[in-house]
Amino acid sequence: MNDSTALDLSVVCPLYNEEESAGHLIDAIRVALGDEIRWELILVDDGSSDRTAEVVLSDDDRRVHLFRLARNYGQSTATQAGFDRARGRIVTTLDGDLQNDPRDIPLLMAKLEEGFDLVVGYREARQDRLITRKLPSRLANLLIRTVTGVPIIDNGCSLKAYRRDLLRRLHLYSDMHRFIPALAVGSTGAQIAQIPVRHHPRRYGTSKYGLSRIWKVLADLMTVSMLRWFGERPLRLFGFGSIAAFFVAVGFLLAQMVTVAEGMAGVVHTGAAVLFAGLSLYLFMIGLIAQVAIHEWAVRGGGGGDG
Amino acid sequence: MTQTDTQVVDAGTAAGVSDAQRRSGSSVGETAPGLSVIVRVTERPIPPDEIYRECSPALLAAEPDAEFIFAVEPWARSLSGALRELADAGEPIRIVETVRGVGEANMLLEATALAKADVILTMPSYHRVDPAELPKLVTAVREGADMVVARRWPRADNWLARLRTRAFNRILRRLVGHSTSDIGSGVQAMKRQVLEQVPLYGDFFRFLPVLALREGFSVTEVDARQHTRDPSTRVHRPGTYVRRLIDVLGLFFLVRFTEKPLRFFGLLGGTLAFIGGVMLVVLAFQRLFAGQALADRPILLVALIAFTLGAQAIALGLIGEMIVNLHVSRGRRYRLRDSDEDR
Repeated sequence: MNDSTALDLSVVCPLYNEEESAGHLIDAIRVALGDEIRWELILVDDGSSDRTAEVVLSDDDRRVHLFRLARNYGQSTATQAGFDRARGRIVTTLDGDLQNDPRDIPLLMAKLEEGFDLVVGYREARQDRLITRKLPSRLANLLIRTVTGVPIIDNGCSLKAYRRDLLRRLHLYSDMHRFIPALAVGSTGAQIAQIPVRHHPRRYGTSKYGLSRIWKVLADLMTVSMLRWFGERPLRLFGFGSIAAFFVAVGFLLAQMVTVAEGMAGVVHTGAAVLFAGLSLYLFMIGLIAQVAIHEWAVRGGGGGDG
Repeated sequence: MTQTDTQVVDAGTAAGVSDAQRRSGSSVGETAPGLSVIVRVTERPIPPDEIYRECSPALLAAEPDAEFIFAVEPWARSLSGALRELADAGEPIRIVETVRGVGEANMLLEATALAKADVILTMPSYHRVDPAELPKLVTAVREGADMVVARRWPRADNWLARLRTRAFNRILRRLVGHSTSDIGSGVQAMKRQVLEQVPLYGDFFRFLPVLALREGFSVTEVDARQHTRDPSTRVHRPGTYVRRLIDVLGLFFLVRFTEKPLRFFGLLGGTLAFIGGVMLVVLAFQRLFAGQALADRPILLVALIAFTLGAQAIALGLIGEMIVNLHVSRGRRYRLRDSDEDR
């Protein structure tokens, strides 16, 4: 990194149809950060169909940058697009809908300076509906905590601060922004801290989420846990599955012997044993293929190659 | 594809010279042609020289400095002799011959690399639309669209073919989320960067407009009168329908699940495993508490097959996720608008 371009802070914020909020957001960030630190605000217009970009461009602060994605890619990809352009030593993210308070950014930075790689905010007094927003969110957080083993209180809060080195090893895609802490711990061994942050009710526009994402979150959670626990050793995951299936097959074989000994036909048991033996073999082969994929990846320089 | 897979037959020195002369002669105006027409000569084509004779008057009248590039697959090579004669006679023709069958997508990409213009009109070597309609497409691109697809309308062929087109495009729209009303016309005009930036390979070439939409390009349709000889050239064998179906399913997966394969395989596998699991629980309950013997009940096998298949599908999904995750660090997964950084 070039020192002359080094900034203290990059604030990355994806915007999707936030024409009403965008102006207020920029103002709030300007007030919260002041002039003492060198900062930049990177706004990523995630294919908005409204006047979001015009609103941002009408602000002539040179510290405010706008990047416009060609279509709506979703929050993870938009955030990654912002990360790709961030020049600050510290990078923070927040939502574009004014539900996060930019005044919390200095607090996150201070915590990060204590020696953490990632500081995650959690909304202490959430201003949302209990049944449709808060309750599902609490259940989801409990599930994510349990499965990934990373004790994050509030995975849905976008207000986070990163050390830039961490971002070089973290790549967001699909809907992975929900699992940033688990990904960070799994793939980079990051040190994570959490601090309470303010939360305001949505003032403009409508929520971009719905309840329909349960399945998506579950599938992504499986992926993240696989990456978290098995990372570069997928053969272990599939190997465990393979061995378990093998024992089930053996169990059915034993049952078969018992039934035959009792003088009954045991076709069904044999069939079951064969099925599970097949599953065992299949899972082991899948594990080997996974190994091939990892090996090819490592041969080509792994994840740290292009920074 | 490597460069060795194709060879550019520089269509005779005569054409080369006349090309250069024409360009140096008009050095006051633009130096590069405003339009490159790429004709894909693949399976059972209409002789490409016939296509050229038919299409060039209208196109050259509208775009006097247009160039024509014919991308010719190996088995159509016997047809390029006539083209070479035309080129030797000074017509603005170049020929790209592929050494082996590399597919329509790679042929088009190879031809694009040679094309000099920023606007590209591409069509198969078939009679698709009335040649007089072709300049309309180019105009629409110049007026701002990133890609313009010719919709054969009014149609000259029978109701069955029309129904086929409509059904195909409707299925496509249903599965993929967007489509045009006549993706099969194969006649498209576009800005050069569409071809440079849309990841294009294999048989997905057919769905270029859908892929372009996915990359955030603007795609519009222009009605172009169907060629009177188009209907007679299209005889579809059953195998064609099967291939199309597989293509569409592949595209469906590509568009919806490429970045998240587990959402597809997991749903499939999870459902199967769940059904199998519930059946197993019921069977176990009957065996343990109702005293029903299991050994002579094939339903147990059905439950087990469902369960093991489900487990296999989930395992495949996990592999997919792992591969995606390994590759996310390579290259951008998004496209910025053309202005790139607005500030």
